Amino acid sequence: MDLFANLAHGFGVAFSPINLLMCLIGALVGTLVGVLPGIGTIATVAMLLPITFGLPPVGALIMLAGIYYGAQYGGSTTSILVNIPGEATSVVTALDGHQMAKQGRAGPALAIAAIGSFFAGCVATVLIAVLGAPLTKLALAFGPAEYFSLMVLGLIFAVVLAKGSVLKAIAMIVLGLLLSMVGSDIETGASRMAFNIPELADGLGFATVAMGVFGFAEIIRNLDFGAEMNRNLVQQKITGLMPTRKDLIDSAPAIGRGTVLGSILGILPGGGAVIASFAAYTLEKKIAKNPSRFGRGAIEGVAAPESANNAAAQTSFIPLLTLGIPPNAVMALMVGAMTIHGIVPGPQVMQKQPDLVWGMIASMWIGNLMLIIINLPLVGIWVRLLRVPYRLMFPSIVIFCAIGIYSVNNAPVDVILAGVFGLVGYWLIKHDFEPAPLLLGMVLGPLMEENLRRALLISRGDWSVFVTRPLSAVLLAIAAGLLVLAVLPSLRAKRDEVFTESES
Amino acid sequence: MADTMGHTASTTPDASTTRNTSVALGIVVLAVAPQIFELVWSLGTVVGLGAGRTPLSALAAHAMALLLAFPSIVAKTALSPDSLLALIYSYPLFAIAILTLFVKIRAPQDYIGGIVLMAVALFALWASSDLQGMHGFSFGAGTAPRMFGVLLVALGAGIALTGLLTDGAGLSHYSWRGPLFVAAAIVFFALAIRPLGLIVTAFSSFLIAAVGSYETKWIETIIVGACLTLGCAILFPYILGLPMPMFPRFLIQ
Repeated sequence: MDLFANLAHGFGVAFSPINLLMCLIGALVGTLVGVLPGIGTIATVAMLLPITFGLPPVGALIMLAGIYYGAQYGGSTTSILVNIPGEATSVVTALDGHQMAKQGRAGPALAIAAIGSFFAGCVATVLIAVLGAPLTKLALAFGPAEYFSLMVLGLIFAVVLAKGSVLKAIAMIVLGLLLSMVGSDIETGASRMAFNIPELADGLGFATVAMGVFGFAEIIRNLDFGAEMNRNLVQQKITGLMPTRKDLIDSAPAIGRGTVLGSILGILPGGGAVIASFAAYTLEKKIAKNPSRFGRGAIEGVAAPESANNAAAQTSFIPLLTLGIPPNAVMALMVGAMTIHGIVPGPQVMQKQPDLVWGMIASMWIGNLMLIIINLPLVGIWVRLLRVPYRLMFPSIVIFCAIGIYSVNNAPVDVILAGVFGLVGYWLIKHDFEPAPLLLGMVLGPLMEENLRRALLISRGDWSVFVTRPLSAVLLAIAAGLLVLAVLPSLRAKRDEVFTESES
Repeated sequence: MADTMGHTASTTPDASTTRNTSVALGIVVLAVAPQIFELVWSLGTVVGLGAGRTPLSALAAHAMALLLAFPSIVAKTALSPDSLLALIYSYPLFAIAILTLFVKIRAPQDYIGGIVLMAVALFALWASSDLQGMHGFSFGAGTAPRMFGVLLVALGAGIALTGLLTDGAGLSHYSWRGPLFVAAAIVFFALAIRPLGLIVTAFSSFLIAAVGSYETKWIETIIVGACLTLGCAILFPYILGLPMPMFPRFLIQ
């Protein structure tokens, strides 16, 4: 079997001492930063991106993947203990998790979150391995027209599955596309919108914009809240980590349902982990015999969204590894990291660099195992970290980010640009624009332009190529259908209902 | 935040007209923002910093362009970049500013958000106006930026329109202290890292950023700042292998 040979190869790579170490460090550092209240997954990955630049590509990506799910796990710890969800994916975990913590059951809540995440991680790892090869074959049949249509579909998915106004999300994507045009044109070499500034000739650095819009902007935004940040921390000592038998029996089916839902939603480009956790929570509440328990410390309300977001976080690697298209902002950052290491993501990566792909997939499983082993005993440390006041934390993060950005190119201008984008991000938040689609647009911009150009060149300028090639036509039709559905009042109400869960 | 919301809800017709005038004025300032930016930038040439036009010539060129761009398009003379800026960027925004005076803004957050996006898109259209467009059926360097620019103008207009048609959130409260000092810390870091090295720069930036919060206690801030500086000085150059200057240049020489 190809599948087992591939996985075995992957485990061979991932079990090398150096890669195990990278995975461990990634998971630990990711959790460490992810635990800090007010810093989401995207911000964590963006901030820690520079520390992986000095490593060999395989190690760097394994570490980044570790940072990603570490951050996600750290985020749920924070939302259970402090009721400040560090990120959108753990908003719903905070609802019941924090109630459990208040009732003195923080230990079981954290344990169930870890166990659920681990189970979901195992399933998702197998799923990636199973779906990886066939999807890669499909991707090889794609021409430029299909690729362009697929990216349009991905962006539309991102809009439909995101929170808030559809129009605003599309505007953010287009702004991202526009920003990606700054710098030299790939084909003609002409300098575009660079105003003769030499540092802009290479284009806006991806890490720079991400760190500005997510890192600095979130810090500035959090400063608005001031002292309110630390109010809700559960004060009593956490005792009895192990869940009772009843907890396990109650949460087992919820974990299963969350995993299935998360795996499916994760593969879809766009929302991924965020929508998965919301949807899983809504589903549990709908099918529960006694829905009124939710919001008052129901363990299913922790188990389902946590498994769902972890499953989705992992399966969202599938479009990235097979098609080379990042389905969400974190994956967009992974593309940025790959490009810096000279790897062009896409179907050819799986064939040319099996070490990288399968090593990363295997390391995900190992990383999840590590998380469950390390984090439960370390909960005490994370709690102490939560007590660090924000007034000391935020200047530290500013300096850390500034050094990180400077170290990418040794360019002071990059630091200033990141600061500018920090203010831009602050403005965007104030006007209720989501910055995640912007990042996605920025990564997909050059790819979209290149494929659009090539498709039109091959068709000799005939735009109908996008609807006459069957695959491309199907993709575009789905995209158009989704967009229509998203603006239809009935579906829109449904979509809002899923997201309003957090406000009840 | 709650305060601002209450304010918008209780606006009398009188108050809303003053609000509209200030929004319109804001848009006018936005419309000439690139020109003002170049003027401020060109002040550097007076003291011998940087390159570019002198303040007077920049001022004259932009004033001419803003006044005469329209006649020159009729006369079909060649357009300078300054006139193009006036035509593509400033004029449409002036028009929007005038329109703003006559409409009822029901969701300022959306209305202003949409107009700023339009401004960004118009500016991008101007910035890519010197690039080659389609030749035959192949894309020029300017085709894609123009495509996305036009798309963003339309989307921005759409968002602004929703701000007129549906009731929505008012402008949220901006605090100045956090953004100002965090930005100052970042700018200081960027300017100082080369001449002063990591240790001095990181520590000073830490202190500057710390001013951004009302709750800063100085003794603990200095201790934490020193520890963080030390940590970064070990972490980045030695453990991660990312070389950077450590000490002020004048101390090493």
